[in-house]
Amino acid sequence: MDYRDTSEEAAFRSEARAWFASNIPAGWRDVADPAGWRAFTRRWHQTLFTAGYVGMSWPVEHGGQGRSAIYDAILGEEAARVDAPPLPARINYLGRAIWTHGNDEQRRRFLPPLLKGDHVWCQGFSEPEAGSDLASLRTRAVLEGDEWVVNGQKMWTSGAESSDWCFLLVRTDPDAPKHKGITALLTPMDVPGIEVRPIHLANGDPETAEMFLDDVRIPVDQMLGAPGQGWAIAMTTLAYERGPGDAAVIPKIQGALSRLEAAARDRGLLGENEVREALARAYTKIEALRLVVVEQLSRRVAGRPPGEEGSVAKMLWIDAEQSLHQLALDVVGPDVWLGRADDWLSQYLWSRAASVYGGTVQVQKNVVAQRVLGMPRG
Amino acid sequence: VLALFTEEQAYLRDVVGDLARKIGIQNRNDLDTADRERGWSEIRSMGLLGLRAREGGRPVASGVEATIAAEALAGRLVPQPYLGVALLPSELLALAGAPADLQTAVSSGEQRACILMATELGAPSAPPHAKAVAWDCEGAELALGIEAASGTVSRHAINTFEPLDAADLTRTVAAVTTGPIQDSWTIAPGDLERWHAFALVVVSADIVGAMRGALAGAVDYTKERVQFGAPVGSFQAVQHLCSDAHVQIEGAASALRYAAWAVDVLDGGEALLAARTAKALAAGAARDVGETVMQVYGGIGQTWEQIAHVFLRRQMLSSQVLGGASAQLRAIADARLGAA
Repeated sequence: MDYRDTSEEAAFRSEARAWFASNIPAGWRDVADPAGWRAFTRRWHQTLFTAGYVGMSWPVEHGGQGRSAIYDAILGEEAARVDAPPLPARINYLGRAIWTHGNDEQRRRFLPPLLKGDHVWCQGFSEPEAGSDLASLRTRAVLEGDEWVVNGQKMWTSGAESSDWCFLLVRTDPDAPKHKGITALLTPMDVPGIEVRPIHLANGDPETAEMFLDDVRIPVDQMLGAPGQGWAIAMTTLAYERGPGDAAVIPKIQGALSRLEAAARDRGLLGENEVREALARAYTKIEALRLVVVEQLSRRVAGRPPGEEGSVAKMLWIDAEQSLHQLALDVVGPDVWLGRADDWLSQYLWSRAASVYGGTVQVQKNVVAQRVLGMPRG
Repeated sequence: VLALFTEEQAYLRDVVGDLARKIGIQNRNDLDTADRERGWSEIRSMGLLGLRAREGGRPVASGVEATIAAEALAGRLVPQPYLGVALLPSELLALAGAPADLQTAVSSGEQRACILMATELGAPSAPPHAKAVAWDCEGAELALGIEAASGTVSRHAINTFEPLDAADLTRTVAAVTTGPIQDSWTIAPGDLERWHAFALVVVSADIVGAMRGALAGAVDYTKERVQFGAPVGSFQAVQHLCSDAHVQIEGAASALRYAAWAVDVLDGGEALLAARTAKALAAGAARDVGETVMQVYGGIGQTWEQIAHVFLRRQMLSSQVLGGASAQLRAIADARLGAA
């Protein structure tokens, strides 16, 4: 048992730190318009790829470096330390889905541009009537010759407006049990019949999108796995890549705590015991999350596939992030409500979504109760 | 980075878990009937008392192993004074460089020592110990005081020993008066921090172990207890209570394992910050988890005969030892933000 970097990990960390120190694009936070942001993220992805910082944990035969997941976590920490632009985290589970369930032709076709950042992907899973109950999704695909013809509506398709490709879940067999009638299809976003409309979240930002599919034709060679395997493909790959260890969530919350401590200091509140205790409590919650995730990453490194304990980490993540932003409202006080600290209001509102996206906190609690504690299903 | 138990550590957890099942408290009645001396000699013969004895200047076992043992024993409410008269004093004597024969006497279980604390159990007591209290001190034969300002550890004879009617039914807490200093040793500030970190870690292990044991019993009960024609564990309201408790325990447990590792590896200040974090999380969860367990057992959980309150009492009292959640948070704030 050792929580310190191994010598290889330490060498990687200092190399990454030096690289970030001289490679953060100046003024990246000022990129405002969607087209500019799209162009920027693509360049940033390509810069990272050229430096060897994309797909580090992918198997070598699929273009990666075969490193352990710990390296992704170290890279995320070092990026957050210097306020780097977001790392392209989504490619990891997409890559895993494609190399695990795709055929050789699909691997050759999709993996290299995914790695290099030539193709940006979004994920078309949720629907207006299929949120927590994702398996009841109704977007329909019907086989016509060698094409699937897709009709329906997706929701919460984050990044849809700036993506080139979409990983879609569709219903291909309405008569099968609901988990068995779902198929995974891959489609370019610029084909006829796809319309994307932004969804503005409570903070006013167009964080996500809805997507309408009207007779969208998808060739059968863009089906991942076999018909009916879509649910299993999505669930097994998501378990790997959407935990708080993968998306640089922890460094982000740590950064928010540092900014909140500075805000409390600026407002002369560090003499108040109540504020001091609350800031310390926020720190302990982040530490609990961090250390649970370190253990889960370690189990993954030791070759044990991720399982239901991901819900434990998600629940700690939700609590750490939401309670921190609740505290910020108290610390920053009236400035939040009078438009003088807009960023804290925006982040607070965004933190509310944490207990909804990627599975609501209530669903996470069901998973912990039934699959971790073994309590009976209702 | 590899934050996993070794095979030996996993084995230790299982072996101590088996022992705890044998000598622990299953029902409240066991508190009156358990053969305490036999349990003590079983703990002793397994070599658990001496985990922190020094050989060639190094602990026989790491803080992680000590934590594993403490957590496993607490999971079955083992009543023997493993922490109070064995681990805490033996670690203190070793760090203070007390004479080898005294160190050996305590770490082998030949002599039972206790640590004197101030009335509220929040901090060690410095001589002359007018109102000292000792925690988990059943059968203590000598007492140790700590004066932090001068970095002095002192040995005292026990003059009077009056067990208190304390909340924890599994442990002895006593008001103790002592004689004058019989012997004293200087402890370096970094070593005192390290002892403090170690003490917070094993006490946190006691809380985490008790929370785990309590919740496991309650969860088992929900699978058997039928109301409205279904096991109560199938109701989401009950499931969510148990999930929340489980997640709180897991967060504290992961912070605890890190702090246990830190005791032997990081410098005193960092080890102490990690230990305070673990203690703040464990103590912060103790009451919630204890209340959840009582609630999940329903009416039977409110009774004297049922085990739930015995767990809650132990979790709550251990939470006070060397400072509860608030005290830890204030100290964490001092460490991170500078003194108020």
